[in-house]
Amino acid sequence: MSDSLVKVDSVNKTYQRGGEKLVVLDNLNLEVPKGDFLALMGPSGSGKSTLLNLIGGLDTPTSGSVEVDGENLDKMNSKQLSNWRASHVGFIFQFYNLLPVLTAQKNVELPLLLTKLSGSQRKSHVDTVLEIVGLADRAGHKPNELSGGQQQRVAIARALVSDPDILVCDEPTGDLDRDTATEILELLQILNKDHDKTILMVTHDPMAADSAKRTLHLDKGKLTH
Amino acid sequence: MYWVLIKASLFRKKIRTFLTIASISIAFLLFGLLNSMSAIFTGSMQGMSADIIMVMPKYNMFGTQPYTNVEYVRSLEGVEKVTHMTMMTSDPLGSMFDGMIFATDGNLFDVYTRFQATEEHREAMLQRPDGVLVGRLLADQKGFKIGDKVRTKASFKHEDGTFNWEFEVVGFYTVKNLKGDELGVMANYKYIDDSRMTMKGTTGYIIAEVLSPELADSISNKIDKNFENSDRATRSGPENQLAMEMVGDFGDIELIMNLILSAVFFTILLVTGNTMSQAVRERTADLAVLKSIGYGDFQLFVSVMLEAFIIIFSGLILGLGITLLMIPLIVAASQDMLADALYLTSSAFISAFLIGVLVSFVSSFMPARQALKLKVVDALAKG
Repeated sequence: MSDSLVKVDSVNKTYQRGGEKLVVLDNLNLEVPKGDFLALMGPSGSGKSTLLNLIGGLDTPTSGSVEVDGENLDKMNSKQLSNWRASHVGFIFQFYNLLPVLTAQKNVELPLLLTKLSGSQRKSHVDTVLEIVGLADRAGHKPNELSGGQQQRVAIARALVSDPDILVCDEPTGDLDRDTATEILELLQILNKDHDKTILMVTHDPMAADSAKRTLHLDKGKLTH
Repeated sequence: MYWVLIKASLFRKKIRTFLTIASISIAFLLFGLLNSMSAIFTGSMQGMSADIIMVMPKYNMFGTQPYTNVEYVRSLEGVEKVTHMTMMTSDPLGSMFDGMIFATDGNLFDVYTRFQATEEHREAMLQRPDGVLVGRLLADQKGFKIGDKVRTKASFKHEDGTFNWEFEVVGFYTVKNLKGDELGVMANYKYIDDSRMTMKGTTGYIIAEVLSPELADSISNKIDKNFENSDRATRSGPENQLAMEMVGDFGDIELIMNLILSAVFFTILLVTGNTMSQAVRERTADLAVLKSIGYGDFQLFVSVMLEAFIIIFSGLILGLGITLLMIPLIVAASQDMLADALYLTSSAFISAFLIGVLVSFVSSFMPARQALKLKVVDALAKG
């Protein structure tokens, strides 16, 4: 695939636990084309979250290389990775991880505070993404005034607001009921289809995986199929 | 950017933030009050001149020394003017007032210029042997007016065999600083010395104005040297230095104050350090998310440091602000006795600022470092 957005090449990730060496990713290769919606499944400890963290620039491989949109992440230092994350990747977590004292609008605005945008430009961006996730009317509410689904939509808006190339979702529906989960997955599909976002999603839920364009399985640090 | 992060942290646990700021403000209130009162203890009160030396009996600050000592001091080179003051205390049970009667020569007001009286009143006192000038504060409190009789049971035995003394108010005096000194009565030394049965020919303090402050120490030493190893041994020195030494006779007040302040600030350090550590620990997931969306390690380090600075300086401003509000209340409660003795100097503000910076830095460094070193992956894995 020549137009791959993500290239994971011969990646190994090991941890030292006491005297024991723990292999989490074992010589893993993966390519994700631009515009893909990939679900990663596998049992706990199979290395799927670790893989997601490497692609999201939160961690570096023990060996091998991770390239996203032509940039080699394993060559970057901590500061460069922070800057890269700020503009290239949006994270969506299982437990939303919103700042409780900030309104939905302020939570969404957080990534933009790192940019040179003016206050009015930031507001315009925030309004746009809140509109996309269907929460324009809840902008002034704090997380504890929103339902779980709404909080996850705010988290999605926060991930989207800096217009990243790739959305990295770690169990985005893991803390939601079935109906709400369906709504969130539909929203992710819209973002993938209509807004051309490349999405990588780790999930245990086969229904969630079904909403992706393709699914890969990991076991003991290797892609199985 | 920093303000949004700091606000998010400060308002996360509002009550804790409030209580932390409140405890810091109480510490700074204590700091402010102790500092404002330190002048009383340390003798750095406004109006005490470095070119005024006091000569007092060495072994008893309320004792007496021969009047001839006054003549000796007057004879010294570098001494410009000399006066003296004998203090007679009033027994509150048999007196119209509870305070000091200062027996002085007429020139007291020329030498000891923080004591002031009009020419007319000074002249009236000289004209009438039993005439007294009443301190303005005492006159206001007791309602004394010119022509009133002041009767007192005093510490000196009158030649009639009693301790009863009677004077007539002929005027008033004021004191430029240390309003507490206005709670006394100024009487003619000659009249008192002639009328008392014992201790005739003695005085209490000798007050001398020297030509320049640089001479104060050498002249003081010369006086003390002259009388050393005698029953009229003296203790001399510039007024402010002597006041400090006299306080020191009761204990090292400055050391005690410094120990209290050290305890206070060690407590602030612990309170703030604990609050910041706890706050950072609770926000591990938030910090991890902030890092994941692009906030740098150093930005979060600075954010935690600034948060501590805001907490400490809010407490500082509040504490010193309350001190400034309390000073006039305390002065009023003291019936103006502390009017010029209670104040916050600019050095107190500078000290508070430096303490604030130091405590903020020390208390937040480790929590900020914790934020700096936080590994996103580990923090997210812990939830």
